Amino acid sequence: MPKVLLRELAYTRSGDKGDISNVGILAFDKANFEILRRQVTPQKVKEHYRDLVKGEVEVYEMPNINALQVVMHNALGGGATKTLRWDETGKSMCLAMLYMEIEVPDGSKLAEPP
Amino acid sequence: MRKIRLGAGSGWAPSDPMLALELVEKGQVDYLGFDQLAELTMAVLQITKARDPKRGYVWQHIIDGMKLILPPAHKKGMRIITNGGGVNCEEAANQVLSIAKEKGLTDLKVGIVRGDDVLNKLEDCRKKGWKFNNLDTGEEDIDRIRDRIVSAHAYIGSDGIIGALGEGANVVITGRVSDNALFVAPIMHEFGWKFEEPYWDLIGAAVTVGHIIECASWCCGQNSVLWEKVPKPWAIGYPMAEFYEDGTAIITKVPGTGGMVNEWTVKEQLVYEVHDPRNYVMPDGIADMTTLTLEDLGDDRVRVANMTGKPRPDTLKVQIGYSDGFIAENLTIIGAPKALSKAKRMEEVGWERLKQMGLKRENLEVRIDYIGINSLLGPVVPIPDEDSINEIGFRVAAKAKTAAEAQMIVSAFAVLTGTPVGVGFSAPRQPRPVIALWPTLIPREEVLIDFVVREVS
Repeated sequence: MPKVLLRELAYTRSGDKGDISNVGILAFDKANFEILRRQVTPQKVKEHYRDLVKGEVEVYEMPNINALQVVMHNALGGGATKTLRWDETGKSMCLAMLYMEIEVPDGSKLAEPP
Repeated sequence: MRKIRLGAGSGWAPSDPMLALELVEKGQVDYLGFDQLAELTMAVLQITKARDPKRGYVWQHIIDGMKLILPPAHKKGMRIITNGGGVNCEEAANQVLSIAKEKGLTDLKVGIVRGDDVLNKLEDCRKKGWKFNNLDTGEEDIDRIRDRIVSAHAYIGSDGIIGALGEGANVVITGRVSDNALFVAPIMHEFGWKFEEPYWDLIGAAVTVGHIIECASWCCGQNSVLWEKVPKPWAIGYPMAEFYEDGTAIITKVPGTGGMVNEWTVKEQLVYEVHDPRNYVMPDGIADMTTLTLEDLGDDRVRVANMTGKPRPDTLKVQIGYSDGFIAENLTIIGAPKALSKAKRMEEVGWERLKQMGLKRENLEVRIDYIGINSLLGPVVPIPDEDSINEIGFRVAAKAKTAAEAQMIVSAFAVLTGTPVGVGFSAPRQPRPVIALWPTLIPREEVLIDFVVREVS
């Protein structure tokens, strides 16, 4: 199956609570959501973020708004107040998600970004 | 059907009171909620208060902001709820009352909510066998940091605000309440809801709507994935929610302003800083965000319906702040040609110099960023070809027990120690003290929330 970057299927936004970074993935439509919910697994997220994320990863589904919620532990250098990261609150963590490779079915016509 | 109109006047500090003023003048809301507190803010305010007992509230908001906003808001009958009281709500209230007097608002009543400061409860709880487990690291209790604790604040809910509104307060000043309590409280007050069956779905709806607007313009196209399409972001409007008694709401913004509210700007705020969306645990109730529906009505209006919730938890979240050394950092800018090779050489110079000082790399907390190459996305994106790089920001940050030690480590990587040609530098930043946070829980019954209402003297 051909591969595309996640950014062709969804928008993302990230936030922080302590040392936990979360990335919300907003699929452009239901079809994209179905593709993403199967492929954006905790293991795949962990491999993708490499040493940016040192702890466990959880993925939650919000089928009502075609969204996934990715929660990454031990990901912000101890949290905003003590981290050595320039991006203390991990606002840019959502950008890294956009570069994840996702397989899409042959010949599928993807929704245009809204 | 009855409805209540809520506006968000800030989502962080320092905030621009002019945007809140626009909300007062053009927004037609019943209640204005001002979120001024982030995780770090309480600890910083605690330190400020330790130096000067008359401080410890968000000065710019309570003084400058209120001078601007209080007169027109009060004239229009808008009530204000702010967590800008920080760690000194009494003094913040004194300031607001004196501004009211100065502006001739003699009938103004100010409510003060107390009980979020649980610093002197920690030892009591421990004696009863409670352990302040670190929610981030799993560490069992606070023994390791006990002698360095500077603050402990529980995220309290709407109880005290509802009480003060019931006593007729026009302005309610709080410390560390949950951000969404600034909006849950007026909703519950107006509709007479209680923390019991059958209100949990409705409270879940109030928590969810509070969450959508609590970061102010962040649901109106700020920090947005749609940044290229956002109209007039320099004149961005603050959000308003029309909340109906049946637990549905319309999210919109101040008319005639920049920014935008649509399905996507609401969605991006919905997922913002939420973990398990079925269980968004807040002091007033647990919102389930997986049942709600969004309907984009156009004209910057989005309807939110089918929101649900569960009973409020028996524990409250607490942030314990403790002193944790100092951070020093330095930035130099390296120009082409061979910018990447020069950055690598600078890094090598620093490590070698530290070795000469007898310091072992594995014992140090140091971070090196090549800005323009890897400072944000790190190893997720490939390093570009060196010939295509015009310049690199070489940033070094170090954390150590003392300011001098942190500065010494950073200086090893700075210029004047054998660096390559043509490195741009400017005056170094001063090392800063670190207040680390210990997120934990406290039994709800240990947190005694009350309020008082004061009048202009």
